[in-house]
Amino acid sequence: MMGAGLMTRSRGMFKPPYAGHDAVSRIRFAALVGVALVLALGLRVVGLDHRPMHHDEANQAVKFGVLLETGEYTYDRTDHHGPTLYYLTLPVALLRGQATLASLDARTVRLVPALFGVGLLLLFLSLTSRLGRLAVAAAVLLAAVSPALVYYSRFYIQESIFAFLAVACLVALGRYGERPTLAAAVTAGVCVGLAYATKETTVIVVPAAVAAVAVARHLPSGPGGHRMAARMMDSRTWPPARHLAAGGAAALAIAWLFFSSFGSHPDGFVDSIRAFGLFFDRGTGTGSHSQPWYHYLGLLVWSSSGGVVWTEAAILVLAIAGLVSACRATGSYWQRVVALYAVFATLAFSLVSYKTPWNLLPFYAGVVLLAGIGAQALVTPWGQTNRWGQIPRRPMIQKPWALTPSAGQRRALTPWLVGAVLVAVCAHLGWQSWQASLRDGADPRNPYAYLHTSPDLLRLVQRVTDLAALHGDHDRMLVRVVAGPYEQWPLPWYLRRMTRVGYWPRAAEAGPFDGTPVLIASQENVPALEAALGDRYISEMYGLRPEVFLTVFIERGLWERYLATRR
Amino acid sequence: MRIHTAVVTILTVAMLAPLQAGQGPEKEELKLKLPKPMFIGTPTNIKSANLEVVTGKSRGPFMVPIGTKLLSAKRPVKSSDPQPVIGELEMITDGEKEGGDGYFVEIAPGKQWVQVDLGASSALHAILAWHYHSQARVYRDVIVQVSDDKDFLKGVTTIFNNDHDNTSGLGIGKDKEYIEVAEGRLFDPKGIRGRYVRLYANGNTSNDLNHYVEIEVYGTPVK
Repeated sequence: MMGAGLMTRSRGMFKPPYAGHDAVSRIRFAALVGVALVLALGLRVVGLDHRPMHHDEANQAVKFGVLLETGEYTYDRTDHHGPTLYYLTLPVALLRGQATLASLDARTVRLVPALFGVGLLLLFLSLTSRLGRLAVAAAVLLAAVSPALVYYSRFYIQESIFAFLAVACLVALGRYGERPTLAAAVTAGVCVGLAYATKETTVIVVPAAVAAVAVARHLPSGPGGHRMAARMMDSRTWPPARHLAAGGAAALAIAWLFFSSFGSHPDGFVDSIRAFGLFFDRGTGTGSHSQPWYHYLGLLVWSSSGGVVWTEAAILVLAIAGLVSACRATGSYWQRVVALYAVFATLAFSLVSYKTPWNLLPFYAGVVLLAGIGAQALVTPWGQTNRWGQIPRRPMIQKPWALTPSAGQRRALTPWLVGAVLVAVCAHLGWQSWQASLRDGADPRNPYAYLHTSPDLLRLVQRVTDLAALHGDHDRMLVRVVAGPYEQWPLPWYLRRMTRVGYWPRAAEAGPFDGTPVLIASQENVPALEAALGDRYISEMYGLRPEVFLTVFIERGLWERYLATRR
Repeated sequence: MRIHTAVVTILTVAMLAPLQAGQGPEKEELKLKLPKPMFIGTPTNIKSANLEVVTGKSRGPFMVPIGTKLLSAKRPVKSSDPQPVIGELEMITDGEKEGGDGYFVEIAPGKQWVQVDLGASSALHAILAWHYHSQARVYRDVIVQVSDDKDFLKGVTTIFNNDHDNTSGLGIGKDKEYIEVAEGRLFDPKGIRGRYVRLYANGNTSNDLNHYVEIEVYGTPVK
């Protein structure tokens, strides 16, 4: 009943809360967004195949290859996230005319997260009427060039899609909080279902978003249209049961469809729930990925290694300004939704001991949006808004060239100064993004390149490829990989076009070696192979990851034939 | 009897004289100032037939002719990449060999060289190179050459080459690869004469960039 009352009261009263439309004209806004989209697209899709495949990327790409070739996918609760990544890659692969694992390439699979990385900017744009043009323009510019967002948008893992869906959940839930309709509830449910079908950390971001919306609704809103809206909505009411049921059903249906492989593996959804035992152990354990609570913030503020410095501190400073702005009496409902989500999600992810750098994306997307609000707050300082929360349409420019500007002139100059600083910040972030993505994409000094495959592995792949071209069997040349799972990847991706590659964790299980032209071994298996192969093989060493090496054994006759081509 | 003794003595001296001359100048241990190791322990589990055996122990004493001096200190350095990504080429001969940030020069990826001009042709007795020693890594296709020609077009002597598959196109090398450690890698030029020392590399096992912390060339000036 209470819910029904809420519906009745809220119907017809909706008016988008005003927040600084006049600070940027429509034309300038369109120009800024256009620049941001071009930058975002360029930084995310140029040279997608430049960086070697990370072992996590390779693993997912091979898993997708199975789906591509056989149409089958089975959720693996022990070592994989949700399936949306694979299903969303299908249309891209088919559009590029790649129907087999062998024909796939890195550009195809990485294009999917790249497009969702650009999609995040479009989601920000959907809040223009709520947050103001200036806030959204600043946010899309910062998101376009943020090294963390750019780098992981070029990474074939779930994170870019998940960050997109986390913000989609926030927007959908925020809109439901603003205007609780059945359609809004179902939309929110669909977003939650898609997020859950992407990654299990939905159980962090959705509660953070729900809490942000709930708290923002309870706080007295600032001046402007939303004050009226807030007054008319009874914030003490719970959502109606049918909304909860419809939203929950939508979320469950979407999640079930994906985890069950669209009905062909019904146990998949239950397995996704059972997987939380493993995720909980991992998240609270003290394994190699365990980091202190401040790890993510430290990584974003300042990272210096091997003469290379990385920082996204400017975004965090702007986000703090946004937080202060949202906390003020003039803060709007949507500013508070964004601010609270950024705070709650950042705290939650920071408190989980299991940390990999890409896990920062879902909360950092909110932080970047909050930074846009901060940029707007800096351009429109306290007292510059009128009693409706609006910024004066015409800035009070008098004599900007005067040596001693008046108070009005200083206010008028503020947007230009902040704008100049923002341009400098974006230029620096963009330059870092270019370095992180293209120059230092796999460099261990890059804080986002976590346990990354060394470019040296590409030499190994080239060597095997060259040897196969010389060998009579060509792509059917037998290759034995004797290495544990940690040292095997990303070889299955790189050797995907060779049809006779076998993988064994230990030398004792991999023999006999007679007739094997090429063997690849992790270091603990080298002594056993050396003893077994004697001087019939030559060996070479390659870097797999920093301080992790693989040794390649090549049958001496094949090596001599290869060497003859090199003289 | 006296005549017999005298003849034997003369013959003995005559026989030993060339041997004495062949021993060359007296030698002494090359004294080096080594930087602190940047990583704990050497990864002795890394093995490959094409990799120098990792003993985890320090290099033994290296003997050079008495009077051998450090010739490369503060000498000018050229490179195939004249604008390093990080650092300045002068850092390669500045005497600072620490492995931390701010001590190395990073030059472009792929096959690149750096070249030290000793100022005059000298008899060279030891060349040491530190590429990057804060991480266990192998630099690819290391080639060390000496010449009196600054362009290395003529009179080039290769004293080390571990490019075992001729990736660099300078010939197949028979030397083995090695893991970078704090004591650097010592190349023995065996007294060969030259004014310029050139070192090639082609990325490393961690990334495809090239790095140099320091190059030291020891020798005796030719009079």
